Amino acid sequence: MNGGVGEDLARFLAERRTDMAPIDAGRMRRERHARVQAELARQGVEAALLLHGPNVVYATGEAVRGVDVSHATFERPVALVVAGEDRPHLLAGHVDPTLDVEHRPAAWPELDEGAADLARVLGDVVGPLAGRRVAVDEQTGAMLRAGVLDGADIADASHVVGAAKLTKTDDELACIAQAQRRNEEAMAAIQATARVGATRSEVAGAFLARLVELGAEANLIDPIFQPMPRTVIDGPRTTTRTVAFPTGVGDPTFGEGDIVWVDSGIDHLGYASDFGRTWVIGRDPNAAERRLFERWCDVMVAVLEVLKPGVTGGDLCRAAEAANGGDRPWLPHFYLAHGVGVESAEMPLVGTDLGPEFDDRLAMAPGMVLVLEPVIWDDGVGGYRAEEIVAVTEDGWRHLGGGHPYPPFA
Amino acid sequence: MTAPTPTTEDAELRSARRDRVFDAMATAGLDVLVLGRRDSVAYATGVRSLWTAGTRPFGPACVLVEAARSIHLLSSWDEGVPPEVPFEHLYGVTWNGAILAGALAAIPGLATATRVGVEALSPGFERMARRLAAAAELVPADDLMRAVRALKLPAEVARIRASVTVADAAMEVAGVALPGGGGPAAARVAALEAAARRGVTVPTSGVVVWPAGPADGARFHVDVGFLVDGYEGGLGRTLPGADDDAPVMAAQRRLVDACRPGATAADLRRAVPTGVTRWRVRGSGMGFEAPVVTDALGRGEVIEEHMVLSVELELDGTRRRDLVAVGSDATEAL
Repeated sequence: MNGGVGEDLARFLAERRTDMAPIDAGRMRRERHARVQAELARQGVEAALLLHGPNVVYATGEAVRGVDVSHATFERPVALVVAGEDRPHLLAGHVDPTLDVEHRPAAWPELDEGAADLARVLGDVVGPLAGRRVAVDEQTGAMLRAGVLDGADIADASHVVGAAKLTKTDDELACIAQAQRRNEEAMAAIQATARVGATRSEVAGAFLARLVELGAEANLIDPIFQPMPRTVIDGPRTTTRTVAFPTGVGDPTFGEGDIVWVDSGIDHLGYASDFGRTWVIGRDPNAAERRLFERWCDVMVAVLEVLKPGVTGGDLCRAAEAANGGDRPWLPHFYLAHGVGVESAEMPLVGTDLGPEFDDRLAMAPGMVLVLEPVIWDDGVGGYRAEEIVAVTEDGWRHLGGGHPYPPFA
Repeated sequence: MTAPTPTTEDAELRSARRDRVFDAMATAGLDVLVLGRRDSVAYATGVRSLWTAGTRPFGPACVLVEAARSIHLLSSWDEGVPPEVPFEHLYGVTWNGAILAGALAAIPGLATATRVGVEALSPGFERMARRLAAAAELVPADDLMRAVRALKLPAEVARIRASVTVADAAMEVAGVALPGGGGPAAARVAALEAAARRGVTVPTSGVVVWPAGPADGARFHVDVGFLVDGYEGGLGRTLPGADDDAPVMAAQRRLVDACRPGATAADLRRAVPTGVTRWRVRGSGMGFEAPVVTDALGRGEVIEEHMVLSVELELDGTRRRDLVAVGSDATEAL
């Protein structure tokens, strides 16, 4: 048994782990604003009206709140970025005074009277919209009823923000690294609570409590501790005929030998972490389970060995498949890798159902972030899944995680 | 401990909610309704899904067809999907707009629809919808869902009542932890752990603790909001309690009593006593809902029987938030 594969991967990651420079939040916001302005100019858009939370965060620096969708929509901040202006407008109730924004009262675009207010602000700031190219990411029903954007030539603001955030600045990378390391620290502190007889909610509660103690700003997802079936047919029925994950349903009690897939994400200054590991409850992994982990490590090393600017998503997929005996080592409804930033999953997406042609056109570039999440599945034995975050550099990549190990695997 | 047992069978509650949505569609003349928000989808279908924070880009997470009273759902698996949604009505998560469009095009009744209700619109989905239902008028239907959801079924009130017990337990331990030296963080930890012991790890507004005043370092506003079995339980207090809570209790009672059927925003404003620095009345159910009434909002809103409201105000540095159910002749704190 080769017990050193995990150590080899850990060493490989550690060699490419650099200290992060201190985060300068003001510089980060100014650089993002410049990128949004550049995209407005490139796409010929005169103004971008942003409602979707992560887009508002990107454009303004507004803090993320760990609230559910109903609270996030009703009390939503709204950003308005006008081409050529030196700072964005932020329509919100309370605004951090350190943000360099033009603060306006909250708009409440979910409500009819709020949509009317929003139309007035647009008129004041942008002027008459008729014939003007205005980007928006989402229009609420109230905005449609009020005709807030009537007459405008409407563009998709997700393309503006999406292009701006495809590569990250050093400050953004440091935010992701900070979120990831805090997420890892909280998981390290509570892994022992995942024992025989414990429920998912007990373990999740311990994790959420630890996040508060560590000073994390917001939790972004109900932390997943999902006991996995050993065979696909023993799990839920899926549209892809593969294993269902993450379902986020129910509160299972852990039993000895359960393989538990762990996934969580927290926020730091608007940026998400993405923690993934596989735990085994109450005992050490057996030989077959260790082989899953070893194959996972092989796939990780194979992908990281080819990763550098200019290689395509297709190249990464082929490296992963070759290291897994020709089989695709990832979940078909997801990806081999995804970006992370103000969204927990964003471009670049690698290995999705956008297809091989898309992957072959997607060239890696410095500043792109990849969350690699291969999955090794051996029907009857079960699966191993974990995640590591790397950033593409001028000559290769660097590790953004803090070197969290893979217990009980090694 | 686990979450409180629901007082009504899940299937009965799901069926009643579903019927209300389809009935509202029929009344509004909608052939198809496209929902995008997790809370609305949960209301209409009863599906349980992974909780994530914040907004999602608008997309067709659920398609309801009125003629067949059928539900089609974006889900890659049947875990958490109620039995009345057949597996064949699921379309899997996809990153590919062409695959999504193909799945939607296969839904019977969409291509021939003449009125399609949408909860919201993104530029991308608007283009797709105009191709898939070429003859259809796209109608904003957020107000339809809001109106249906605003009036609670008795079983929903029972669920909310059970959810409040979780929030109550969290508030109680926060009140014990707060003066213990650990401050706001200790209070939040205690509240989160108390909810988790009851099987609840999903916030609506979460556990928020902030100083009661700039000059008052000893007292904190504590607000708790959890999603329990699909419904929000929440309350707000100022801890430790003031020596004399009577004025804020009386003010809150006055505002709660004003929340009676037929009351307008102006009626509520008149009921807010002098000295109250902040107040808000809003719907509560599967989260933050309509109506929303404040000093600045709520023109045209009328309180109705069967609403459940979150009523909050602050007086002399003491804040209270309670969930209340509007009855025909009394409004009851839950």
